[in-house]
Amino acid sequence: MKHKNIITVLIFAFLLFGTSAVCFVKTPSLISESERRELKQKPKLTIAALASGQYMKDFEEYTVDQFPKRDLLRSVKAVFSTRVFMKKDNNGYYFANGHISKLEYPLNPYMLDNAEEKFIFLYDSFLKNTDTNIYLSVIPDKNYFLAKENGYLSMDYDVFLRDFKDRFEFMNYIDVSSLLTIDDYYTTDSHWKQECIFKVAKKLSDVMGTPLSEENEIKTLDNEFKGVYLSQSALPFKGDTIRYVTNKHIDNAKVTYVDDMGMKKEGSMYDFEKAKGNDPYEMFLSGTQALITIENPYAKSDKELVVFRDSYGSSLVPLLTSGYKKITVVDIRYIQKDFVGAFVKFDKQDVLFMYSTTLLNSSTAFK
Amino acid sequence: MLFSSILFMFYFLPIVLLVYYISPKPLKNPVLLISSLVFYGWGEPRYVFLMIGTILVGYIFGLLIYKYRGRALSKILTGLSVVAQLSALIYFKYADFFISNFNMTTGLSVPLLKLVLPIGISFYTFQILSYTVDVYRGDVMPQKNIINLATYVSLFPQLIAGPIVRYSHIEAQLTKREHSFSKISDGIRRFVIGFGKKILIANTLGELCEAILAFKGQSVLMYWLYAVSFMLQIYFDFSGYSDMAIGLGKFFGFEFMENFSYPLISKSITEFWRRWHISLGSWFRDYVYIPLGGNRVKRGRLLFNIFVVWFLTGFWHGAQWNFIVWGLCFGILLTLEKFFYIKKLDKHKIFGHIYVMFFVIVSFAIFSGNNMGDAICRVKGMFGFNNVPFISQETVYSIKNFGVVILLASLGATPLPKRAVNLLKSKLGNNAVYDVLEIIVTAAILFVSVAYLADGSFNPFLYFRF
Repeated sequence: MKHKNIITVLIFAFLLFGTSAVCFVKTPSLISESERRELKQKPKLTIAALASGQYMKDFEEYTVDQFPKRDLLRSVKAVFSTRVFMKKDNNGYYFANGHISKLEYPLNPYMLDNAEEKFIFLYDSFLKNTDTNIYLSVIPDKNYFLAKENGYLSMDYDVFLRDFKDRFEFMNYIDVSSLLTIDDYYTTDSHWKQECIFKVAKKLSDVMGTPLSEENEIKTLDNEFKGVYLSQSALPFKGDTIRYVTNKHIDNAKVTYVDDMGMKKEGSMYDFEKAKGNDPYEMFLSGTQALITIENPYAKSDKELVVFRDSYGSSLVPLLTSGYKKITVVDIRYIQKDFVGAFVKFDKQDVLFMYSTTLLNSSTAFK
Repeated sequence: MLFSSILFMFYFLPIVLLVYYISPKPLKNPVLLISSLVFYGWGEPRYVFLMIGTILVGYIFGLLIYKYRGRALSKILTGLSVVAQLSALIYFKYADFFISNFNMTTGLSVPLLKLVLPIGISFYTFQILSYTVDVYRGDVMPQKNIINLATYVSLFPQLIAGPIVRYSHIEAQLTKREHSFSKISDGIRRFVIGFGKKILIANTLGELCEAILAFKGQSVLMYWLYAVSFMLQIYFDFSGYSDMAIGLGKFFGFEFMENFSYPLISKSITEFWRRWHISLGSWFRDYVYIPLGGNRVKRGRLLFNIFVVWFLTGFWHGAQWNFIVWGLCFGILLTLEKFFYIKKLDKHKIFGHIYVMFFVIVSFAIFSGNNMGDAICRVKGMFGFNNVPFISQETVYSIKNFGVVILLASLGATPLPKRAVNLLKSKLGNNAVYDVLEIIVTAAILFVSVAYLADGSFNPFLYFRF
């Protein structure tokens, strides 16, 4: 081709200088909606930062975070990695049986030890010698259903669940894993679907001796739910739909949010502002909260429940509302375990420890 | 600063190219020099002054060696320049090695210095050494223009990962070099190929190696998988960097020597070292082996010369015993080939290739160790002496996850892709179809590689020991 070399140089120059120009003039973005994190901003130029090399390090991170069309390029990388290189996972995220999931491997025994230590601390400090009924339930993550069957690295969940359950003689273990299937989880997120876990709520309530209301209505959110796995994996995939359960107990409950400094704020079971945000799943009990109290004026019994939970509990707890006069929801990732007693008086309640295998396998999140 | 980074590609390089090409000829080398100092100082703000000091010392010695040429003083000055140039390298790179071995031998506890190794010091020290020795030998004239000498030593395309460019190869190009669309176009293709090799292949293999090291469940097959992947990672990373260096050199009118020539198709270790890291092998040949007498000596001295060269080759790669052992292993194999069976290997090509692959893979297991103990553990693991099963769940998953990349890398390490391209070119004849395809494929490699960079994923720099 005549002038091939000139054309090659011109194309390359256009790509190089054109992209460079966009990098320089583009207004920096503050957050990445797809990755759900803040993006690095241009660092401040100081002599000290230059001399130490910190400016260069920060600037380099800034150039990556602020690169134009980054979301598109991340998808290109994900597709190339999985379709051309035929990699089974992209940065630990994989697609199987219509779901995106994240590898959870290997089993970390010292993390289970850490969780055990925290639970025993809570028992010894606040629950021992009180008239409480203590229960434990472990929620399997999506890999329980997907990983081994599809040839991915998989923890031995049977060993995990059996081992963890056997550590707590003072807890009555409620197995929910046998009730669940992969279809009970969002396809693009780690969490389960509220409309699919009535069976879990019923099993818990049966064991805890508290009947639940069966007059429920299921409503649907309009906006598409792009779950955390979809954004992190960058794989091209359609989002989910969030459905939520209402009944007179849920709709009329007095919900109070308490932060770790003791500041209270009235709210509702579902936060519809957060439903439109980056992580719509946070609509359930307003996402990450240190402590929540739910008081049900329509409760038929005076029973109270305390739930120590992670994010899976956010969608489950509303389904238990009808069975209790008061539910206290505690998240020891956001409140020091030592201070739980300052916020909750343990006496005659049902106490449920409900955590996912994912959190238990990396329990350093517990304070 | 890495070539394989958004910062280099879209911030540094465009500015340097722009300023370089709008500058008049007398300013082109100063532009390159300043750019190179910024490039180096970006990663090593403190140590840029060390490099400048090394250049100044080399510059002064070069002039003095030439001034007193033919006299004993010239030889003394050359010796002093070698000592001076190597001092910084020895201090920063090897001081703690000597101290820790001294402590082990004597039982004392002399505290380690824990110095941060200035990146690229092994490369630029060897470059400036080659300059002063070549001046002494009369192979080159001393460079009176310190800007030109500094440009040669610090030239960013080859500063931190080679190839080791001899002053004699580049002397004329410092003052007179061609800038043309043809050269730049070649440079683009070469750079993008290196870019793709590093980002798409080497980094992916590096992910596999990191994953294997993190696995608790090892197996015999896993040890081999690691060694093979590590070898391929090093090849694609290093040769990719060399491709990028050669390509970048062409952007600025320079022609650098080839540094890799399909070493993994070799049929003898002798051939392997003529194809692998060519600039280092030839440096040791010309500045250590031949001055020691080369092979024109008695057998005992020859063995000594080989021992010294391969000890130093291993030692140059890192201040640890496993690198020395790695080098010496090659020295032993080369000696055995030389004396006993090189001709047999030439005759039996398939056996020769298997023989090379076996020893090279095992040698990279030694090379990959964090220390000698770790290296021995890895080699033992490869032969089933670590009490691990033959295969494990992690091994199967790793093969499934990275099998295609390993296969592509293995093919890519041979001349087959190039032959396929040449065949396609000949089939398409002299028309635009091939040229358009070439442009599209080059742009596609660049685009996908940039996508990997934008993902912010795994992008290690392997040359921190150099």
